[in-house]
Amino acid sequence: MTSSRPDFLAHRTGDAVAVAVRDLVPGPVRGGYLDDGDAAEELSLHHDVPLGHKLALRDIGAGEDVIEYGVRTAVASADIARGDYVHTHNVRSARWHNSVA
Amino acid sequence: MAQQRRLTGYRRPDGSVGTRNHVAILPVDDLSNAAAEGIAALVPGTLALPHAFGRLQFGDDLDLTFRTLIGIGSNPNIAAVIVIGIEPNWTDVVADGIAKTGKPVHRVAIEGKGDLRVIESASRYAKKFLQESSELTRQPVDRSDIVLSMKDGESDTTTGLGSCRVTAYLVDRWVESGGTMIFGETSELTGGEHLIAERCVDDDVRARFQAFYDDYVDMIEKTGANLLGSQPTQGNIAGGLSTIEEKAMGNIVKTGTVPIVGALAPAEAPTRPGLHFMDTSSAAAECVTLMAAGRGVVNLFPTGQGNVIGNPVQPVVKISANPKTTDSMADHIDVDCSDVLTQESTVEQAGEALIDLVERTINGRVTASEALNHREFTLTKLYRSA
Repeated sequence: MTSSRPDFLAHRTGDAVAVAVRDLVPGPVRGGYLDDGDAAEELSLHHDVPLGHKLALRDIGAGEDVIEYGVRTAVASADIARGDYVHTHNVRSARWHNSVA
Repeated sequence: MAQQRRLTGYRRPDGSVGTRNHVAILPVDDLSNAAAEGIAALVPGTLALPHAFGRLQFGDDLDLTFRTLIGIGSNPNIAAVIVIGIEPNWTDVVADGIAKTGKPVHRVAIEGKGDLRVIESASRYAKKFLQESSELTRQPVDRSDIVLSMKDGESDTTTGLGSCRVTAYLVDRWVESGGTMIFGETSELTGGEHLIAERCVDDDVRARFQAFYDDYVDMIEKTGANLLGSQPTQGNIAGGLSTIEEKAMGNIVKTGTVPIVGALAPAEAPTRPGLHFMDTSSAAAECVTLMAAGRGVVNLFPTGQGNVIGNPVQPVVKISANPKTTDSMADHIDVDCSDVLTQESTVEQAGEALIDLVERTINGRVTASEALNHREFTLTKLYRSA
């Protein structure tokens, strides 16, 4: 039972980030997609990611859009690698330019 | 399909249906709070609704305060109202507005009498209203009689993944059954406002929605302030949300998939069934108060990190999918749907459990926020008083 529980979930196939659904530590993790129950994703996590925080599913260059829920929810403010922790230190709002850490 | 629960409520003279049966003591202004609370102390069982404003307001800001106070007094969860103000003219505006519902209203102004005489005279009406309202009984009602509102707070990524999806399941079922729902949080649609505009049922509703959205965001952007820590809040960021757009998508998820049939001004009541947008702040107490003025009789409140808000007029139902919160703040949570996050239960299963709890709340079950005496009643102010 425990082994079938995901470590992380992404909203849509094609999203660049996913959400940890438990506290995660560096190493191999696996997860899935809400819109496609059959799709699975495995990757090597580089950082601690607490429950509810995000990890990158693919490389995102500084200045690129960050896609989540199938829409742009942020812009990368630094280069992000697949498996990196993603939060206010490396993404910012695309819409509210003053909303920065 | 599960058999629908028998719903009951208090049917008011204007045909609206309440889930509670309060006698409210409603001050028009801050100066009248002491007398309002004096009446409620003499006649326990009545509900004083003190608030901070109502003096020297003008223009749109005054209109909103009147619309809010009249809407609160007109809310079907309230059986009868004592309206109390420092001077008679504005007291009459509020009392006349509420009296249009046909419910009992008594008005009193303090100038020329003083608090003690006012408390004595108004307490007799409060006692009479309390006794009369105690004989009103719950009648069978339908989902189509019930206006539900919704707002999320202390959101995190588990709201978008869990509690907001579960709420969305209820929204779609409720509207399919002919019910009415209100969502809001204007600035918290940023990044997904086009998704809301696309769901508006016609061009008029769409134009109204877009104007509310543009005005609100212009107001915020004109300040030039850094919003990080305010919107999203520190709690949102601690919960993993990084941007306003990411927070907005969770807010939007909870509105389900049904068309948006109305775009309401703050505190405006819906005039037809279906899902309505209301122009509101995302601050919980302001938003839920405006939605109560818009005649919401139960509020659905998905939370991530654990917002404790309640409202004196409409019961607030807390829904959380964050297993840390449902553990550490269990006292405040009515519906634990953290199993959705671990995929041990489906959105449909959790959604049916939420509908069950909401229908029991409609029928009189006391929510966590009611039991813990959370009565946040906060007027929205558009600008400084004169």
